[in-house]
Amino acid sequence: MTEFLKGNYELTVKIEEPADEAETSATEEFEKKALSRLGGSICFVRKKGFLWNGDTPEK
Amino acid sequence: MELGRRIASRLTEATFERVAAVGLANAERNQRVIRHSILELAEASLGEGNSAVVVAAGPSLHRRRSLERLKASAFTGTIVAVDGALGACLRHGVTPHVVVTVDPHAERIVRWFGDPMLVAPPRDDYFRRQEMDPAHAHDEIMANRVLIELVDRCGPGMKVAIATSAAPAVVDRCEKAGMTLYWWNPMYDDYDRPGSLSRRLHAMNGLPCLNGGGNVGTAAWVVTHAVLGKTRVGLLGMDFGYVPGTPYARTQYYPELRELLGDGFAEAFIHVENPFVSETWLTDPAYYWFRDVFLEMAGAAGCETFNCTEGGILFGANVPMAALETFVAGGGRP
Repeated sequence: MTEFLKGNYELTVKIEEPADEAETSATEEFEKKALSRLGGSICFVRKKGFLWNGDTPEK
Repeated sequence: MELGRRIASRLTEATFERVAAVGLANAERNQRVIRHSILELAEASLGEGNSAVVVAAGPSLHRRRSLERLKASAFTGTIVAVDGALGACLRHGVTPHVVVTVDPHAERIVRWFGDPMLVAPPRDDYFRRQEMDPAHAHDEIMANRVLIELVDRCGPGMKVAIATSAAPAVVDRCEKAGMTLYWWNPMYDDYDRPGSLSRRLHAMNGLPCLNGGGNVGTAAWVVTHAVLGKTRVGLLGMDFGYVPGTPYARTQYYPELRELLGDGFAEAFIHVENPFVSETWLTDPAYYWFRDVFLEMAGAAGCETFNCTEGGILFGANVPMAALETFVAGGGRP
């Protein structure tokens, strides 16, 4: 966003975008880890049928 | 959208994170003992006709006395049980033709077959806390001892549809009990995408990949119609929920939800009205995801599915609810 918007005044506070990004990334990492403990025993793959046996036709 | 449903919508990816690495590691370790493909089960004699019953381990199995009623019904079709329901089946004199197991957990799953290494109650309260087999909640050690004897006695008459993700302790236990093992790969990802794990796994061991739908109950249903070719399938104990009034602390994912959400954990639970039994059931994000996935898969299945659980949250246009006796008699369509 900063590359498109230019202010014609000086800000009195310092905005540290990289720190926010780091925080978001840590939160996402925590969520990912926590959510993985709520997952099931086996994956579900959408729209790939029930059984796949290589080159043989899907059942 | 409610918190529980929001979490549920993210569990496809979360499940991959949970099981892929350990499942693939187990697949490599199991490679040396693989002798039969699950596809061989299609040729085996497993009950009469095109009907099958899939026995899962939800609380309705005991609450509705489903196994006593199944035995009394003289059902002659195929019986497929999930690992967690095996003990209950054998205690009620119902020997499944096929037992399905998939979860890669290193210590827990072997307990469903009777764990010869268990000598004292473990610190892990999973079996004391959960609802899947009440026998384990009362006296873990005694329940385990009885189960070992039952599985040893009935093992040679049973076949196991075992995923390559299964822990080596489960493989060892099933083999020592005289069960015959039929192997398959869990489908981990889209086999058409570059670098697919499913494709690499299939190339490694030549086994088919089965789309498991998140849990062993759904995987057992997939085995029943997509491998065994059954065209009429009844479900027992497939609740995907908790009996009304169940304390949160006695639900399967309670510790994880508490850790993730703190004191606000209760907001993740979802209440679902079951019109068949006129009860409001409690469910959590994982079980709700299982339900959504099952209903989606049922729409594409080449079989009729009837939920004879008489409880829980699994019902929809492609999964009508029916009493067990109605299903056994050949009915069940709404």
